[in-house]
Amino acid sequence: MNGLPKLNFDTMTPAEFEQYLPELFASSQGGMVSQNPRLKKFLAANPDCAALVSDLETIAETARSLFQPDQEPSDALWSKIADKLQQEPGDAN
Amino acid sequence: MQTKPNSGLFKRNPPIAGEAEAIERAKNGDPDAFSKLYALHKRRVYTLCLRMLGNVSEAEDMTQEAFLHLFRKLGSFRGESAFSTWLHRLTVNLVLMHLRKKGLQLVSLEETINPSEEDAPKRDFGSRDPQLAGSVDRVTLERAVASLPPGYRMVFILHDVEGFEHNEIATMLECSTGNSKSQLHKARLKLRELLRQPEQLPVLESSREVTQ
Repeated sequence: MNGLPKLNFDTMTPAEFEQYLPELFASSQGGMVSQNPRLKKFLAANPDCAALVSDLETIAETARSLFQPDQEPSDALWSKIADKLQQEPGDAN
Repeated sequence: MQTKPNSGLFKRNPPIAGEAEAIERAKNGDPDAFSKLYALHKRRVYTLCLRMLGNVSEAEDMTQEAFLHLFRKLGSFRGESAFSTWLHRLTVNLVLMHLRKKGLQLVSLEETINPSEEDAPKRDFGSRDPQLAGSVDRVTLERAVASLPPGYRMVFILHDVEGFEHNEIATMLECSTGNSKSQLHKARLKLRELLRQPEQLPVLESSREVTQ
């Protein structure tokens, strides 16, 4: 779906809008569809679509915070790895 | 429309103090240096495995595999991307290989990536969807991600959490870029649905929290 440049969002139905949403998210800077000036009028006229976009942006933004790890393996795991490494050719451990 | 200038993963993986030296020493067979690389990256590798697999035991096994693989392949690391980017790609490929061996033999992920109708997000134009209450907390999102069908979960983790681009995901999952975009969108829609009823989300398997 690469016809985004030619589309007139002002005359689009919500169903049509959702068809283009995956591509809109993929091509918007930072995934911020709500900041796209071409969509301003459409989103103002379609609060359900604006709410959907806002929610999906919130989910994507919160997902970025999951990048920082909050889990760690058991302490025994390094011993297991070190044991295996001793059997490796080249024996670096 | 603009596209992102660089891989998000590279931007999110700034060099770690002492890492470059440890890599060079480990390449020359210094066991302490490899142990340091493990200490620096074990959490990120393990968390990635745990999210992709949803199982503590399997996640530990794959973390072990990832570091053994790292030991064997370290000599081929040329520093063209951030070390953690390289290590994460290596880990993702190992986990995907493991998943294919486990249940996806002879069938590409492209064909099995689509969940059943029951699992697919429900969209009903004409009726008003209740909006999420402004923000989503990290723990609740983690539980919702764990509840996603595997195909959706994989694309969501790789793109929205790990920062891979759609073309990289398409290569890793052996699917088209369009399919990756579409699956990501469906994953986010499904998450929205799940996050509206957070009380129904399952409690995650007990895990050890990072303490530092």
